Amino acid sequence: MATTQATRYITVEDREIGLDPEGFVVDMTAWTPAVAEALAAEEGRELTPEHWEVLEVLRAFYARYENAPAMRPLVKAVSQALGPDKGRSLHLMRLFPDSPAKVGARLAGLPKPTNCL
Amino acid sequence: MLLHLLNRAPSSSSVHQDVLRAMGEEDALMLIEDGVFGAVSAQVQHFPGLEGRLFALREDLESRGLAGRCDARVIIVDMDGFVALTEDAQRTVSWF
Amino acid sequence: MSEITEVPHGDLLVMLRHAPHGGLWLREALDLALVGAAFGQSVSLLLMGDGVWALLQGQGPGPLGQKGSHSTFEMLEMYDIERLYIDSDSLEERGLIRDDLLLPVIEVPTSELSTVLAGHRQIFNF
Repeated sequence: MATTQATRYITVEDREIGLDPEGFVVDMTAWTPAVAEALAAEEGRELTPEHWEVLEVLRAFYARYENAPAMRPLVKAVSQALGPDKGRSLHLMRLFPDSPAKVGARLAGLPKPTNCL
Repeated sequence: MLLHLLNRAPSSSSVHQDVLRAMGEEDALMLIEDGVFGAVSAQVQHFPGLEGRLFALREDLESRGLAGRCDARVIIVDMDGFVALTEDAQRTVSWF
Repeated sequence: MSEITEVPHGDLLVMLRHAPHGGLWLREALDLALVGAAFGQSVSLLLMGDGVWALLQGQGPGPLGQKGSHSTFEMLEMYDIERLYIDSDSLEERGLIRDDLLLPVIEVPTSELSTVLAGHRQIFNF
């Protein structure tokens, strides 16, 4: 996805982080784990080690394929990286209610998945 | 039977070669828009082996002044005929 | 790499006929394939004409940093898109051989291309 204009900012560790209208980090290089914590806190989510291992899978996926995954490939990637017990929709839905692919990409500092409606 | 639609002239594009490769023995080819330039006698050799399965749209021939120049090996159909052909076909595939 | 060993089949066939970097055709075609797969459709790709250049190894970003499509091709397996048909003649005309390609493909002789088209419920031509 093309980088869009920031429409609002959150302050993380004294830095202004630009967010697009849907809350995705505009400049991927500005992302740090603290940004994920701040974004999660805004939504009332708390990031546990189980969340973090999925965010790492998401970032590795992007690093390799230059795209954020939709739900099905995310499940597959988590299954490959963390084992079949965690590579289930149910597990991901529990960690990231609403839309695991979209919420996960946002917290991981990735662009919105292109093929995730 | 698949109905293939081609809207580019064989003299300006090589896409007709892709169409011919992808066509099965029962498939039909309909020339529309600039595709109808391929229906004139001097160009129709670009479509060998399609006797009885090669069509051109009358409206597009007429608008380009080609109505009298269409080769006898090409079957001219009007818009209604075109619609009927698409109904006969399992699917249509557009080439451009 | 393989020859055709089973009857081509699937819900969606996406035909790629345009080379990478010259326009948006390839990008659009891949997006459609990914959306189809994300919705659980069984998707196949058919590369012919200049579309075969899309699988050449060693591609990179454009001069202005534009993203290429090679990493998206590598991602296809994560979407369970595993049938990549390729027209043998289109490869040969461009001096390409199997070892030049990024991914395993199913080579289809020109005489068999029509069976690939006939084996799919819907065809999208890019």
